[in-house]
Amino acid sequence: MARKWGIAVDLDRCTGCGACVTACHAENNIPTVGAAEAARGRAMHWIRIERYWEGEFPDVRVKFRPVMCAHCDAAPCEPVCPTYASHHTADGLNAQVYNRCIGTRYCANACPTNVRFFNFFNPAWDKPFHLQFNPDVSVRSVGIMEKCTFCVQRIKAADSAAKADGRELKDGDVQPACAQSCPAKALVFGDLQDPESEVSRLSKSPRGRPLLDLGLLPKVTYLSRQTDV
Amino acid sequence: MYRPSSSGAARIGPVVLGAILAISTGCTPTGKPSSGSSDSRPSPTHDSSTFTTAHATIADAVSDFFGVRPSAKQPIDFPHDVHVSNGLTCTEFCHEGAPAGPVAGLPSLNTCMICHASIAIDRPIIQQISALHGKGVDLSWQRVYGYTAGAHVRFDHAPHIRANVECATCHGPVAQQRVAERNIDLNMGFCVTCHAERKASNDCLTCHF
Amino acid sequence: MDRRSFVKLTAITGAGAALASCGSPENQLIRFVPDDDLVPGVATWKPSVCPSCAAGCGVQVRVMETDAEVVRNGQRGVIKMRVAKKLEGRPEHPISQGGLCPRGQAAIQITYHPDRIQHPLKRVGKRGEGRFEEITWDEAIAELLVRLDALDAASAQDALVFLTRPGRGVRHRLVAQFLERFGAPPQVPFELFSDDVLRRANALSFGREQLPTFDLARARYAISFGADFLGTWNSPVANSAAYGRMRHGQPGIRGRFVQVEARMSQTGANADEWVPARPGTEGALALGLAHVIVAAGLRRPEDAGRPGSLIAGWAAGLPAYTPEHVEQVTGVPARLIERLAREFAELGPAVAMIGGAPLAHSNGLFNALAVNALNSLAGSVEKPGGMFFMPQIGDAIFRDAERPDRQAPRSIDRLAADVLAAGESPVEVLLLDQANPVFASPRAWKVGEAFDKIPFIASFGSFLDETSILSDLILPDHSFLESWVEGLPESGAAAAVASVAPPAMRPLHQTRAMPDVLLEVGRRLRRPLSPPFPWQTFEEALQESYGTLPEGEDGDVWSAIQMRGGWWGGLPRREAEVMREGRSHPPVDFVEPQFDGDAGVFPFHFLTYSSQAFLDGSLAHLPWLQELPDPLSSAMWSSWVEINPKTAQALGIAQGDVLDICSRHGSVRAAALVSPGLAPDVVAMPAGQGHRTFTRFASGRGANPIEILGPMAVAGTDALAWAATRVRLARVSGPDGGLILFAGEMREHPHEDHGR
Repeated sequence: MARKWGIAVDLDRCTGCGACVTACHAENNIPTVGAAEAARGRAMHWIRIERYWEGEFPDVRVKFRPVMCAHCDAAPCEPVCPTYASHHTADGLNAQVYNRCIGTRYCANACPTNVRFFNFFNPAWDKPFHLQFNPDVSVRSVGIMEKCTFCVQRIKAADSAAKADGRELKDGDVQPACAQSCPAKALVFGDLQDPESEVSRLSKSPRGRPLLDLGLLPKVTYLSRQTDV
Repeated sequence: MYRPSSSGAARIGPVVLGAILAISTGCTPTGKPSSGSSDSRPSPTHDSSTFTTAHATIADAVSDFFGVRPSAKQPIDFPHDVHVSNGLTCTEFCHEGAPAGPVAGLPSLNTCMICHASIAIDRPIIQQISALHGKGVDLSWQRVYGYTAGAHVRFDHAPHIRANVECATCHGPVAQQRVAERNIDLNMGFCVTCHAERKASNDCLTCHF
Repeated sequence: MDRRSFVKLTAITGAGAALASCGSPENQLIRFVPDDDLVPGVATWKPSVCPSCAAGCGVQVRVMETDAEVVRNGQRGVIKMRVAKKLEGRPEHPISQGGLCPRGQAAIQITYHPDRIQHPLKRVGKRGEGRFEEITWDEAIAELLVRLDALDAASAQDALVFLTRPGRGVRHRLVAQFLERFGAPPQVPFELFSDDVLRRANALSFGREQLPTFDLARARYAISFGADFLGTWNSPVANSAAYGRMRHGQPGIRGRFVQVEARMSQTGANADEWVPARPGTEGALALGLAHVIVAAGLRRPEDAGRPGSLIAGWAAGLPAYTPEHVEQVTGVPARLIERLAREFAELGPAVAMIGGAPLAHSNGLFNALAVNALNSLAGSVEKPGGMFFMPQIGDAIFRDAERPDRQAPRSIDRLAADVLAAGESPVEVLLLDQANPVFASPRAWKVGEAFDKIPFIASFGSFLDETSILSDLILPDHSFLESWVEGLPESGAAAAVASVAPPAMRPLHQTRAMPDVLLEVGRRLRRPLSPPFPWQTFEEALQESYGTLPEGEDGDVWSAIQMRGGWWGGLPRREAEVMREGRSHPPVDFVEPQFDGDAGVFPFHFLTYSSQAFLDGSLAHLPWLQELPDPLSSAMWSSWVEINPKTAQALGIAQGDVLDICSRHGSVRAAALVSPGLAPDVVAMPAGQGHRTFTRFASGRGANPIEILGPMAVAGTDALAWAATRVRLARVSGPDGGLILFAGEMREHPHEDHGR
């Protein structure tokens, strides 16, 4: 049966530390844009922590929310891509095919959660930072849109390893960089088609809800913080 | 860090403008990259202290776009036929990475010297490579098969070996040749055709991620 | 290839030169034969220990073959070598438990940093100019030996000072033994946010001079007084793992926690309840809770045992700490005090934590003792869900005869004062290792001026920073991925843990491990060290100590340690070791905190804090961390000062405006960030930016709040009261683009329902 990859984000565990953000940069060869470009809003955090302040001193509350591409089953970024660079795969991923991308940026425009990032320039790394590149992930050049891929390279590697060993993938075999690094284990990744998987169980929690109510069929479920026992 | 590059202009603007920009800014290093502290001015795209996806010249950019790579020039005429006929199979001795993962690998002189410390040591070429090895210098082989960076291909040998695809299917009769040549044009059509025939996935994400 | 390289090549390889490098531009450099046989494209995993903070998280390093440019025998070329690609937490490691914080993830950038010092350097030009020439290791060690031999010849061995960050373990002890055998005083430990006050309080209360560990995973209720335990304080990865389980790891139970602090921290943002207390009054609040607990008959004063007796009035039930009085002192409403107290006593297991600013006020020791007493009262000491002391492997394997702390080490401020007071500096040779006090200490201590007087300074550091740029000689250490690494965590787990790991990769540059350099120096001194060190290398020293740990099933404990990245397990625990008698100390009472600066002239409390990205600034050179949006503000590449909205309005300050923040000791300039997370009379500024010298990514960026701190000490200790400074503000101009935020709107729109 085809898989449907998804993530459950437990907002009651997330501490807002940002480990997921840095882990994603390390895993996916994401360029550091520098202060000037960051000031123009071009920092490329495939996963980001949003923070929301409520109230006035002394009754202040803050809420953290990790946001990444939700690989929506009804993704608005897919129909607008003129070259099929943004399309849906059989196992539920929203694929971003770098070769096909011609940089119209319609997809980023259509995305309601702003999770798509454009390479306005050719990225550069001061050597020897380039030795750290993950060879399992492309290094994107100018004019290409990029975003969270649910660490598709890890999905593929796990699949290949499982086939080599002649076994099936089990729940927990695939861990995207963000979920693996999270010290509080707030991010859980897995196959939503597998009713026994941890992510399926968490996605059905009464605390669970999607980020936005727009009928996008996202694959990321947010478990709200419980403020009272 | 980001640096405005000539190749960026070339993809969007007219080729002539791109060429002018490339010649004027692409190849000549103009100093250390500023990397974040005062990065409002354009910085060099190509000097030995920066890795960038920008191409050094327009010609490079065009070659990369069409997947054209120059033929490999090897330091010595390595005879595959001789070694294979002496029992050295492709993946067992020299290209050990192929069954294991993405990269097949090119052997270092350490591998050659396993045999050639004692075999054929009267030949001048063997004496030359022994001398090199003694000084800790290796042969600089050039890749024959491979994809340009712009192809964004993550090719993995291991599933192909597992599917019992013969090396010669994609690499041609290298075992009967002397120096390896690019016998087969590994363009996307070649891969997709075989995938279709063998019922392997042809979804883009199979190879491009 | 240019003619010079070609000539060099023919010189070393003769006719073979042509074989080695001609061809297309990609092969301009010659290729060296690899040192190791590697299968390309396939990753292996090696253990290591994260160096970013003192927690000592065990990491695993993804290592793959890559072509790297190296220099061999003065020749530049490429070589296939095994290099680190990514760090992950080690799942079985008791501290990291598979997780890793952003600073740990970014640590890999240390190894590949373009501004890393790649070979020994000798100063040319004036001190502090930053002009150095490359020398060989032989020359560098010879130079150091000349200086040390000169000290020895003049019987001035005590004029040698070794400055480092605090540590435990074989590396630290090796340095200590070197100094002792040479005749020099013990190494001077320096760390700005060091929690020594808490260690001292724990020594008094519990007989353990050690940071506590918190069993949050089994706690139902926690109160943190200022401790940023999920962000930057005291083993944040271990705490976060436990916190996740506290929330949703105990079936049917969701643990709650309350954060008491004067400025909303990242940890405070996760609290169920956030309670702002006036700066320096947190201890009074803790005793207010204790008063209610006893008054309500929920506990008896004698339940708190010895820690309670350290508080004046404890046996009588703390009559001075009624909720009404404590409300006046702290600003926390009496009813809230009563409710929190009952919750703390009734919703067990409950635990209280104290860290950060409350320990850095003039009454910091009192605050810590008060919280220790509160914990004892609630019965949370050495109980599940409470606080306890992690068994220390050091106690088990280091023989007492080799105890390195034979005399109390001098503090950095006293060292600086001694040097400045004397005509000729009493310190003649200063060795620097993993410390940057010129940046991370108040200007008032004049550390930079003091160091300028020292005739000879040598640094083992990998980077030029404000302190190491004063060096005359640099002997660059490996990065952690290229060395034998070691960590003896002081807190964070229930089991005893020693993290020990071999190098994950070969050195990229011409660096050498500092302990190995020290061992060689020890061997080559004109008057040899007595007794001489028995080890040739640091690896041997590690093996000698850790090889004595109890064997597992596999037999050879040293091999097992190298494969796992350490040793963890149960040590035989002696009850007496756990709950020793505390040291005697007169009972303490709440005293109003003292501040540096008169409130009339300096109306604001100035709270600097350890930043999530940079801690005390030692990580500001890593670009991933510069670009990491700050948890509460989303700021990147920036410095800022947080101001309450009412204060901002009253002073005509808008977001991004440039402000001068002035204390009695100087001023810094930063952008205003309007934040409701602090009281109108408090302003806060993260530490970490404001380096004058620290690689291309941090140099000249932002402002350093540490500079303007008042040099007040925490009473009863040597520690700096870094939270005790008062400042005034002046608006300089409108925004200058210095404040870079990743987020757009950060206030929730009222009509959106994001669920609760």
